[in-house]
Amino acid sequence: MNKTVAAILATGALMASVPWLGLPAFYESLLYLGCHWMVLALSWNILSGYSGYFSFGHGAFFGIGMYTSAGLSGNLNWPFLWTLPAAAALAALLGIGLGTVVFRVKSVRGELFALLTLAITFVVGTIVLNTRIDGGPGIYLNAVAVPALGPTAPASLYLMALAAAVLSLLLAYRIQYSKLGIGLFAIHDDEDVAEVMGVPTFAYKLIAFGVSCALAGLAGGIHALFVAYVTAGETFNITVPLTVVLMSVLGGTRHWAGPAVGAVVITGLLYYFTAGNNPVAGRAAVGVILVVVILFMPNGILGYLGKARRKRSAPARPAAVATAAPAPPAPIAQVALRSSEVLLEVRGLSKAFKGVQALDRVNLQVHRGEILGLLGPNGSGKSTFINVVSGHYEASGGLVIFEGHQLTGLAAHRVAHAGIARTYQIPRPFAHLTVRQNVVLAAMFGGARVSQRVAEHEAAQWLEFTGLAGKGEALPDDLNLHQRKFLELARALASRPRLVLLDEVLSGLTPGEINEAIELIRKIRDRGATIVFVEHVMRAVMALADRVAVLNHGKLIASGPANEVMSNSEVVTAYLGAAHA
Amino acid sequence: MSWPSLNLLGQAILSGIFIGGLYGLIGLGLGLTWGLLRQINLAHFGFVFLAAYLSYQMATEWGIDPLATLLVLPPLFFLAGAGMQWLLARFEITPFNSLLVTFGITVVIESIIQGIWTADFRRLETHYNDQKFTLGNFYLPVPELLTLLLSVAIAVLIWAAMRYTDLGKALRAMAQDGPIAAAFGINEKGMSLMLAGVCAALAAVAGICLALTFTLAPSQIFAWVGVVFAAVMLGGLGSALGPLVAGVIIGVSEAVTMAVTAPSWAPIVSFSLLIAMLLLRPDKVGR
Amino acid sequence: MTLTRRLLSIAAVALGAASLVAGSALAQQPPVRIGSTLALTGPLAATALTHKLVGEIYVEQLNARGGLLGRKVEWIVKDDQSKPELARTLYEQLITSDKVDLLMGPYATGAILSAMGVAQRYNKVLIHHTFGIPSLAKYDMQFPAWSLGPDPANTVPNTLFDALAKSAKPPKTIAIVTSKFPSVHFISVGGREVAKKRGLQEVLYLEWDFGNRDFGPIAARVKDAHPDFVWIGDIGLEGNMLLDAMKKIDYTPPIHFHVYPAPGPMTKAADANHALALTIFEEHAPFTNSAVAADFVKTFNERAAKANLPDTHVEVQAAASYTAWQMLEAGVRGAGSFDDKAIAAWLHKNKVNTITGNLRFDGPSNYGDDLMKIKQVQDGRWVVVYPPQFAPLNVKLQVQ
Repeated sequence: MNKTVAAILATGALMASVPWLGLPAFYESLLYLGCHWMVLALSWNILSGYSGYFSFGHGAFFGIGMYTSAGLSGNLNWPFLWTLPAAAALAALLGIGLGTVVFRVKSVRGELFALLTLAITFVVGTIVLNTRIDGGPGIYLNAVAVPALGPTAPASLYLMALAAAVLSLLLAYRIQYSKLGIGLFAIHDDEDVAEVMGVPTFAYKLIAFGVSCALAGLAGGIHALFVAYVTAGETFNITVPLTVVLMSVLGGTRHWAGPAVGAVVITGLLYYFTAGNNPVAGRAAVGVILVVVILFMPNGILGYLGKARRKRSAPARPAAVATAAPAPPAPIAQVALRSSEVLLEVRGLSKAFKGVQALDRVNLQVHRGEILGLLGPNGSGKSTFINVVSGHYEASGGLVIFEGHQLTGLAAHRVAHAGIARTYQIPRPFAHLTVRQNVVLAAMFGGARVSQRVAEHEAAQWLEFTGLAGKGEALPDDLNLHQRKFLELARALASRPRLVLLDEVLSGLTPGEINEAIELIRKIRDRGATIVFVEHVMRAVMALADRVAVLNHGKLIASGPANEVMSNSEVVTAYLGAAHA
Repeated sequence: MSWPSLNLLGQAILSGIFIGGLYGLIGLGLGLTWGLLRQINLAHFGFVFLAAYLSYQMATEWGIDPLATLLVLPPLFFLAGAGMQWLLARFEITPFNSLLVTFGITVVIESIIQGIWTADFRRLETHYNDQKFTLGNFYLPVPELLTLLLSVAIAVLIWAAMRYTDLGKALRAMAQDGPIAAAFGINEKGMSLMLAGVCAALAAVAGICLALTFTLAPSQIFAWVGVVFAAVMLGGLGSALGPLVAGVIIGVSEAVTMAVTAPSWAPIVSFSLLIAMLLLRPDKVGR
Repeated sequence: MTLTRRLLSIAAVALGAASLVAGSALAQQPPVRIGSTLALTGPLAATALTHKLVGEIYVEQLNARGGLLGRKVEWIVKDDQSKPELARTLYEQLITSDKVDLLMGPYATGAILSAMGVAQRYNKVLIHHTFGIPSLAKYDMQFPAWSLGPDPANTVPNTLFDALAKSAKPPKTIAIVTSKFPSVHFISVGGREVAKKRGLQEVLYLEWDFGNRDFGPIAARVKDAHPDFVWIGDIGLEGNMLLDAMKKIDYTPPIHFHVYPAPGPMTKAADANHALALTIFEEHAPFTNSAVAADFVKTFNERAAKANLPDTHVEVQAAASYTAWQMLEAGVRGAGSFDDKAIAAWLHKNKVNTITGNLRFDGPSNYGDDLMKIKQVQDGRWVVVYPPQFAPLNVKLQVQ
């Protein structure tokens, strides 16, 4: 068993022995509160911390769980333990239902998602208050028997919360280091790029949301019995959503255990000041402590500790990387130089943006193993072409056929799975992932879809291939433009695509760097990839391209061998104006 | 559900407009710092209430006219806001972190308020409370009218400043891309201090209006967060007119619901409207 | 020395030593510790401060009189931050960790229910001040200081309508607007039923969400309905806000009754004149005829002023609080011990004379008589107007 999982379970088992240690019962209730907030904060973080979808509505799902348990056990006399799975399930159902509608709307991100989830809280609260679910008087659970899990009632409640906390920790940990987690972190940094790299963003967000809501519902269910008197006003307010954010941020949102740490710290702080001697001053002190801690630990407590640990062990790394020189990566596909087999065909492809016709019924074929240069003046639709073929944009009309399969209308991650990869003109790496992790991700989610271990191996090879071997542990921000462009290339190649779309990869490079890049592109084709590249640097086009296609105002105006096309009068007019035709 | 008289409906709509104006006034400063400085400033609410209490104190204990406090408090709070920003700027604050830091500051402000004025309710009683205008069958109470006028005037002023003055353009440029704006000679540090100060001054104005129209209690600070956040996010971060329009939409939709059916359903109407707008016309929402 | 004298001197020394030991033992008996929580911070802090002051006053006076059963009394208060789950945890701490001898209740219905659960688990007596929902008080050893009676949803409206029937202008039409806050809502619903039974015509019934800010539309609807009488199911500030909103549209309800208004603001607001509410104690005769009550009123006025409270009068909360302490003292003295079961048994069987009346606890849920009275704001002060024997001389229920 994994060491961390074992540690979590062992700690859980140890903590579970507390009720039998003969301590005053109040410790169990205090520990209950700690576990309760741990579950809430950890579950919030699984969606909002990992994927960046900041939810302000955790209270709604917590409340649903609370009322489900209260209603089933208080009004319908279910045995209490049976109400817990129902609470979790109902909350998850609502979350998934909501997510199915909301996550489809592309522009509901960031604060709009926060707003939406906040609104949900008020809507659910009002419904509960005004219907027979509550209707006003609240639900009193004093007649509900507390399941005899421990020697006393507080002990049993504590054990239930402890179990939920252990479950939440395990889930948070497992998810962070799983494919789901890596995908979520990519979504956090740049959702559109993640989708294009092959991450099934819609499905992943839904899963994360579902898990998050289920745990919140579970916590709510247990809490209903703890407070024993459930009222709408106490449940559906801004306290829960705000508190879980604070706890997660304090502990660190990028670490699976961060929210747990934050929950323990804040619960402890609030409890510490209950002595009653000077409660108002105590409350002020809590505020001051929060301010000071987060100012000096901007990545949260665990983030700070993690950085400190990294700094201490940093010097060792470069040496280790230098010694291991990985073998060159295996060829992507059978090297069929300049065959006549059609790899990609677009027929009548059109794309309009509210009155601007970016692509106008383009017909183009790309042959397997060739390097096709895509040229045209600014605004002619070259980048749009790449965006549409890769699935970043949806086509307004026409067909995209790749290796005989229709790709039109497919979600971008499916296009990636089919074997197409692209780079961005202005590099868009995942800012919070290291260089190595960026490439690993592409290998895991792209067309090749290998396991994580294989992906790590591949990533090392591709970093070597593009000359970034020593930079694996750096963050993209630490790279210069040249290196970031090559990171784009490494990322694109790691998924072993059969078609690579390069979007102005040479722009901004020095002449020396351009030569290097040209060599690299040749090597890529020699390994079996077909390349379509958009470029303005003419000497690169002449050196690399087998064929050239020219777009102007969204229309394809010429295609064929480079020399022919460049002397085509229409092409010259497009670039230089009528006088030069 | 009984259909109300036109009179009732009209008065209810007016009531909704008035409270929407207050939501907008409170939300204006919050939205500007959120959109332009990338800070979710919960302390804004603390400032609003602190100003409200100070206005109450000055009016009740020292007999100063509350409208006169409009001249005294905003400049004071300008300094406080700029000061807080100066402190925060020395650390790298992400938006999430700013939420946490400003929450801590708000808790401190709340404790100070409770320490000085106790947790009991405080109502600013002035002669303005009795004054009202009548427009046909409709009543326009002076404190609420004043709040609405201030809210609209300030929002329009700021909108115009952002659009037409160099300062406004500099602010917007800074918000879009700080380093590039700095390359063009825009003093990012100075501008953010000034913006924070202005927003705190706006909070003071909102606080004075709040003191004129509502009863104060320290626990009320967090009661406004939900609906004002909604107005700000709906109206668009960094927008000057947005929070006002959104606030009025929220206020009026709730008021009409209360006039027509059981008032306890009111939140569902306004927030469902919000959700519908977000899902169906998200491009109309936000900037 | 003769044997007798030696024996006598030894006896004298022994007696002297014994009395010394006995005397110091008495002086060194540990104090009686009474534990409770109060909402010293959070939304409920305003009223909780009143309870804190009253408790401090009572414990001081008690210790000045010699304490409880010869031992000094020490009151341990913790801050439950207005959160019932924290109240529960802290009561468990008081009982199992701090090991207090006796409990006193917290403030507000939610916290009291939490404390009740804990008290039940450990078989401790729980005396509480202002609990709003008698039907939920199912624990055998809990005792209410606030004589709401076991069925307030019935008795409160009946008392009110009795008072109105005897006034100069008994109302015929009624508008009921109420908060959905649990302890208020069920009484308003009861009021609705009683009104129907007594033949009043209901022209409007509205409920609002606790936390509502805009009372304009509700005020407008009340004005539109032209009721003779408005029943306002408010708690805290809501009543003031509604009256404010009514004034802004030039409407003053002819008669208005509030369930749980914040007392101070009601007396200060001009538009709240002649507001009716519930009470069990006010600062005038015959309540202040007892020396104990008069003294308490004076002390509380001073302490409240020192604590910077805007309203220093003794009313429902303070009086109920003092009553609770009186009950605790009487229970301990009557049982002759600090044993919770003995105290509870004594309280069940006996009456306690308190500043709010002669209380008994042998009814359903340990509630005794309904001692609620109706008070009204007149000239900026609360005065009882019904039943007439509790009203000051020449004070009657006034209608607009």
